[in-house]
Amino acid sequence: MLLSVQDLKVYFRGRDTVARAVDGISFDIRHGETVCLVGESGCGKTVSALTILDLIPRPPGEVMAGKVLFKGTDLLKLDDVGMQKIRGNHIAMVFQEPLTSLNPVFTIGNQIAEAILVHEEVGSEELRKRCIQLLKDIGIPSPEQRLKDYPHQMSGGQRQRVMIAMALACNPELIIADEPTTALDVTVQAQILNLMQSIQQTSAMSVLYITHDLGVVANIADRVYVMYAGIIAEQGDTAQIFNNPRHPYTQGLLASLPSRSRRGERLHSIPGKVPDPAYKPPGCPFHPRCPLAIESCKIQFPDMVEHGEGHLSRCPVTGD
Amino acid sequence: MTHNQYTLESPSAPRRTRLRELWQLFRENKLAILGLIIFVLFFMTAVSGVILTSGQRPVFDPAMVRLQEKLLPPLTRPHLESLHPTEVPTLGIYLFGTDDLGRDVFARMLQGAWVSLTVGFVAVGISVLVGIFMGGIAGYFGQEYICLDHILIAFILSAGGTLLSIGSIGSGSACLGVGLLCIVYRLFSKILGEKLQSPGLLHKKAISIDTIIMRAVDIMLCFPSFFLILTVVALVPASMYNIMIVIGLTSWMGTTRFVRAEFLSLREQDFVTAAKALGVGNFRIIFRHMMPNAVAPVLVSATIGIATAILTEAGLSFLGFGVPPPHATWGNILSDGKRFIFDAPWLTFIPGIGILIVVLCFNLFGEGLRDAMNPKLRERG
Repeated sequence: MLLSVQDLKVYFRGRDTVARAVDGISFDIRHGETVCLVGESGCGKTVSALTILDLIPRPPGEVMAGKVLFKGTDLLKLDDVGMQKIRGNHIAMVFQEPLTSLNPVFTIGNQIAEAILVHEEVGSEELRKRCIQLLKDIGIPSPEQRLKDYPHQMSGGQRQRVMIAMALACNPELIIADEPTTALDVTVQAQILNLMQSIQQTSAMSVLYITHDLGVVANIADRVYVMYAGIIAEQGDTAQIFNNPRHPYTQGLLASLPSRSRRGERLHSIPGKVPDPAYKPPGCPFHPRCPLAIESCKIQFPDMVEHGEGHLSRCPVTGD
Repeated sequence: MTHNQYTLESPSAPRRTRLRELWQLFRENKLAILGLIIFVLFFMTAVSGVILTSGQRPVFDPAMVRLQEKLLPPLTRPHLESLHPTEVPTLGIYLFGTDDLGRDVFARMLQGAWVSLTVGFVAVGISVLVGIFMGGIAGYFGQEYICLDHILIAFILSAGGTLLSIGSIGSGSACLGVGLLCIVYRLFSKILGEKLQSPGLLHKKAISIDTIIMRAVDIMLCFPSFFLILTVVALVPASMYNIMIVIGLTSWMGTTRFVRAEFLSLREQDFVTAAKALGVGNFRIIFRHMMPNAVAPVLVSATIGIATAILTEAGLSFLGFGVPPPHATWGNILSDGKRFIFDAPWLTFIPGIGILIVVLCFNLFGEGLRDAMNPKLRERG
């Protein structure tokens, strides 16, 4: 087990409210595996990812409970210096917006070099070679010239490639990719996904991929965790989730895929929206939107029900 | 089909760098260019001045006293018959006249130019460094709190220091010892990884770092800075370096506010989070990743600050608190000359006009730079 998140709770304190952004989630990532966290906007995916690297702003954020075990050590107990040695070196992160995630005043060569220099002492000649090699690996043409470019001189896809190069700079064991293709158009998205898959195959690293795009999930994931309102609604292999979804939320998400609708029919959508994390409904948080909700859903917080090997769903109705 | 007739150029991003773009905007402002030219001339004058007026036998001797030649107007030839050959000015003419001791005002102006230049640059350098540091800390760590026990330890330590300095060695060293013990204890408990459980009241959050620094800025700004400088200069021995340091240490507040404001918005940017995710340390993020993004407006205000510093130094010298007398500065030429303002007006006008031109050129240059960096103006261009 490479990374194991256990019963993590992250709350954000407002003036007189407490937003329970992540409310007790657990997931595991094994060596060399691609795990997807799926869910609508505002269901706590990004907060969980940022918490792994201790990047949530504190205050107002606060880790209330839980453990983040990375190869056996609890990352939440590390101090600043210990955490800095983990970041980038063992766990790297790729962000959603490649435009704003690169520093506008430095060349990309500088920024990739910085990613290496933070953790390793390298001579200037070797540093240059490694930067060029990284740019080659991620498929940027004529890397020697592009090293001198500033972020604004590159296209969105190229910038995201540079972000990936920076994440790869120190050969981390785990890459957390937080919706890395959301800001890109579909063709570039496919290229970036292929790139990530080929990198993963060659270097055998694990990937935690956060997305709301089920099409992407079907392409790359080994296992899937479906998140809703700060909890895990359903988890399982990609095949189990797509072929045999057991939670009504997962079923709704899959039915909302445009490819599953027939021509001339209205597109399916789940009514309502994700509850405000400060005012979650009691019982199952999904019950106001759930077509199968029964009386007990309004009172009783559901337990995980097992449907097969590693296939769990937090719904008592479909469980029977 | 016609599409073969057009050869598509491969799209490429504009190769203009930020600097070149800035220069193009700057060039359109004629006054700013004038300011830049005068600044370069002034710089060269000051550098050549320090070379020509120093050493054992300087080319222009600013300290050469020729009492028989006193108060000659500009462009007068010296009376060669009454002078020793070594006393004849190098140019063969008193370009700016002589003062009440018969010293060559041109040589003194040359020497004074170097003082003005260094005071301007060093004082502003100090104020920018202090300002950037304080502003960076306030903007980045602003939300962190200092707890009561920190204050208590600082208080015990300073009390110990005071007691030691007034002579009560026993109680003083006891206080210092207790303070150091507290610090060592805290460090050890941090290394051992235990969460320190101070008694409840002591661990209360007392005051945020932002509050401390920004209130210090407010307090400093309350004093009229010239009188603050006068007070300090009255206490420390007068020398060129002390003047620079004092001017620098009383003018950092504007920069601090600037940098803090920039940092408050930069801190929320994604690239800061991205740098953190790479494992970059806090201080490296502040000074290497964020500062280059915040420093442009600071540099603009610094060029205008140089003018203010030159003016302040001249004012101090005029009042007799500045650089001590044998060394000429534009301010003390002016103040020496004021007694003869009706007999020898050039003694006040020449340094006065010199200060006017230099301060004006720095202001024009600074304003031109600010306009060129203004993004609203850039869109129009």
